[in-house]
Amino acid sequence: MSNELIEFVLVSVALLGIGIYGLSVKRNAIRMLFAVEIIVNAANLNLIAFARFMPHSGGQTFALFSIAIAAAEVAIGLALIIVAYRMYQNVDIADFRSLKG
Amino acid sequence: MAILGVVGMIIPIISIARKERGSVTFYAAIAFAALFISLVFVLSQVWSENISPAAIFSDDVLVDDTFGSLFAIAMLIVSIFTVIGSLNYIRKQANPAIYFSLILLSSIGMVLVAYSTDLVMLFVAWELMSLPTYILAGFAKKNPASNEAALKYFLFGALSSAIIIYGISLAYGVTGSTNIGEVIQGFATADASLMPLALLSVGLFIAGFGFKMGLVPFHMWLPDTYEGAPTPITTLLAAGTKKAGFAAALRIIVMGAVALNLDWTAALGVIAVMTMIVGNIAAIMQKNLTRMLAYSSIGHAGYILIGLAIAPYTSLGIQGSLLHILNHAVMKGAAFIAATGIIIVLATTHLDKIKGLGRRMPITSLGLVISLFALAGIPPLNGFWSKLILFGAAIDSGSVIWWGPWLAIAGVLTSALSLAYYGWITRKMYFEGEKEKRVKEPKSIIAVMIFAIIFIVGFGVYPEPLIHFAETAVPALNSGLIP
Repeated sequence: MSNELIEFVLVSVALLGIGIYGLSVKRNAIRMLFAVEIIVNAANLNLIAFARFMPHSGGQTFALFSIAIAAAEVAIGLALIIVAYRMYQNVDIADFRSLKG
Repeated sequence: MAILGVVGMIIPIISIARKERGSVTFYAAIAFAALFISLVFVLSQVWSENISPAAIFSDDVLVDDTFGSLFAIAMLIVSIFTVIGSLNYIRKQANPAIYFSLILLSSIGMVLVAYSTDLVMLFVAWELMSLPTYILAGFAKKNPASNEAALKYFLFGALSSAIIIYGISLAYGVTGSTNIGEVIQGFATADASLMPLALLSVGLFIAGFGFKMGLVPFHMWLPDTYEGAPTPITTLLAAGTKKAGFAAALRIIVMGAVALNLDWTAALGVIAVMTMIVGNIAAIMQKNLTRMLAYSSIGHAGYILIGLAIAPYTSLGIQGSLLHILNHAVMKGAAFIAATGIIIVLATTHLDKIKGLGRRMPITSLGLVISLFALAGIPPLNGFWSKLILFGAAIDSGSVIWWGPWLAIAGVLTSALSLAYYGWITRKMYFEGEKEKRVKEPKSIIAVMIFAIIFIVGFGVYPEPLIHFAETAVPALNSGLIP
């Protein structure tokens, strides 16, 4: 593995760590959505960086797929968060307690 | 299969063309027809054996093999259950056309996950399966429980797909390909310095698919979502999307781990035991039928995982898993549809409210009790045979690994435990309460119950065809690809 590639992989692993930290510590639904997006973007960075050092560009194509899917996912997530906000006047998932057992 | 996607996209257009006057029954009929045609198509292919033998690898992005067909049959049956069960359930909701369209899109996603042999295809199909279910879980948008269920499901689901795509990106980096066969071959021949990345990749796959499969410790969203979501959608989640997780896990994790030559089976064995114990013990303490079924479905993910854990030691392991996947889809699907029927009539599934249900709703109760006993593994119901094969395979593997029989012991003990709470429900329904009058049961629920009873008892008394089908669907490990 060349040195340049290692730098990209390190950044993306750091982003993965930030994303997982954000998901496990934050309780605000929008922040958690951000954390998930950071992980997706870390994966995209990986794909593009690896594709740069490969004889074909499959990784870049896949990154485009993944960006499009992530956009759809965010659209659904924000819609769900808006509906929840209308009901609870709050987007803190620790306050959503209609279900437990 | 394409019919599912086409019809799924056409339904909203029909609804606009008819100025949204179409009834629930009309859209349900279209969805049912599309699913039924697909199911008949898959069954006829399997029947005529006009289909390639179970292959994990293919040069193409999709492969039409017996392994994928087994999953496709289970998922299509569950989708049909969901459509029929929704008939009476969603009459009060707006947008019936969108509802059925999303169910169709999600089921084509599940089927494509089962058939895909390329990581890009797998990921796109995975998202096609997941995105509609996030909306469906929150479809009762005036209901706080449904809302909360959808939001929790969305956050964990989005995390699981983010983790999966990270795992795919690492696999691509290590092997330079996204074809599952080439990835696994690449793992086996990878440079030693790349090994940590390959291991991280397989670990991320286990976590990502584990979220959908509801394995402990990735299960915390599952009971809330299953309880809060509209119950027909819970059927789709518990019996459908969960199986897609197993399809992907079998194709990637089991094969990838064999290639990496890891001592990974012990890790899966530990997860299996934890999943069985946590699921079944938590189920005992529940006061709500849907929530209890949700925990029991966690426990069943543990039983299925036994087969994955012992896959390299005996071919019976995967055969048992596949058989249990097919059986569990029908049993759990029927149980959740029965819960739907109870909600339609009683508006609750609290266990204190179902006293004397056997006299109020005799057919629904009979279907529920038979599917519960099948889940517990009572002979001669179909759940007995799949558990027998799984536990037998676990004991068989004891000649190679010392902890194999312990999986069987944990499985038998937790099955006995599950019989306790299933028996408790049965006692409440048949031996408590008095003077309940028979009420009118929804016809759609009765139809599902009758089909499920015939399937469960029929394949319990005469299991050979299913066992044989599961045997043909077992993919060959080390099928000449790994040097």
